[in-house]
Amino acid sequence: MSSYNVVKLDELESIPVGDRGLQWRPIRLQLGIRAFGTNAYTADVGDEIVEEHTEATYGHEEMYVVVRGRATFTLDDEEIDAPAGTLVHVPDPSVQRTAVAQEPGTVVLAVGGKPGEAFQPSPWELGFRASKLEPAEAVAYVEAHMDEYPEMAATHYNLACFRALAGDKEGALQALERAAEMDADTVRNWAEGDSDLDSLKNDPRYRRAVGT
Amino acid sequence: MTEAAFESARIDELQRAGRFWVPIRKRFGIGAFGVNAWVAQAEGDEIVSEHVEGSSGHQELYVVVAGHATFTVGGEEIDAPTGTLVFVRDPEAKRKAVAKEAGTTVLTVGAKPGEAFEVSSWEASAEMFPLYEAGDYESAAAILREALEHGEDYGLLYNLACVESLLGRRDDAVEHLRRSIELDPRSAEAAKSDPDLDAIRDDQRLASMLS
Repeated sequence: MSSYNVVKLDELESIPVGDRGLQWRPIRLQLGIRAFGTNAYTADVGDEIVEEHTEATYGHEEMYVVVRGRATFTLDDEEIDAPAGTLVHVPDPSVQRTAVAQEPGTVVLAVGGKPGEAFQPSPWELGFRASKLEPAEAVAYVEAHMDEYPEMAATHYNLACFRALAGDKEGALQALERAAEMDADTVRNWAEGDSDLDSLKNDPRYRRAVGT
Repeated sequence: MTEAAFESARIDELQRAGRFWVPIRKRFGIGAFGVNAWVAQAEGDEIVSEHVEGSSGHQELYVVVAGHATFTVGGEEIDAPTGTLVFVRDPEAKRKAVAKEAGTTVLTVGAKPGEAFEVSSWEASAEMFPLYEAGDYESAAAILREALEHGEDYGLLYNLACVESLLGRRDDAVEHLRRSIELDPRSAEAAKSDPDLDAIRDDQRLASMLS
């Protein structure tokens, strides 16, 4: 492994996430960073450049850097105008956060980690990374990389969805059962109305796992 | 940690410490990773001075957020216009960055894989040094004492002994030098020829520590 890597922000892979125009530009994953989480995001003017979320699941303290362009952040109910060069520090994981791009070419960099604990990569990376692949490829990707992340219900749940879409009903049920063992209530909420799992819904094992 | 749930600031509005350094981690009270910015005043400024991260074990990510820099990592030159990310995985790799234009701004994020983040003693020393050079020993001592509240460090204790010696606080200087040498004998070697300690050199306790 080389002692260093160089990459330009504009050359990072661009992966669409969600339905509000967000483009995820993975940095940590691409560079193999193991000490903190970091990613860039881009979006067209008016589109979401930071997905609306809290950090309650991971307990991360976050810092956003507007590297280029301009964004409007909304933190809980407060709006912040953030031209290039602005730093936004959000130590409290419970704050609801989002941002919208205001100029063409806007780039926001995010850095995160949990104070007092060694960094572990967040399993949402797996789902984001696999989401633009064909179902069979997504299954292969998640299976190959899930050991690199702490085990969480969301990972098994995503795997269940990808396996169901790829036609692997038995594998999907196993993953769904594992997810439900870890966090039954959350899995029930996710599964309700999730068409990815339609092929499982008549199976008694599905109904037992999600408790419907 | 700050009390606020969130806070924002512009890099170019934050107060600098020294010629190039904009302390960000300390300004925001960040506890999960180290982060600072370095801003060039003129072309040719070595905004990231040559160093390794061997003692901290940090992985470092440099982000050129304005201007244009030339990095040298492990002896190799890297042309780094705005938008370049340079990730230095190996703590032992020598690294530096020189600005190609005034206003060049490099953001650095660092932490050690597999361990909870702790503030580097480097940060306090770097903040203290310009004050020390300007002869403001009281302020320098205050920064070092504050940093030592977060944990003992032989280098911080040594520097504190030096500024206390310069301030004429003989007993404090002797005590802090004694503790520094206990933690790392290299402090005794440095103390033998350090003019900052001349004011306490006639002290019997110093002579027995350095013998």
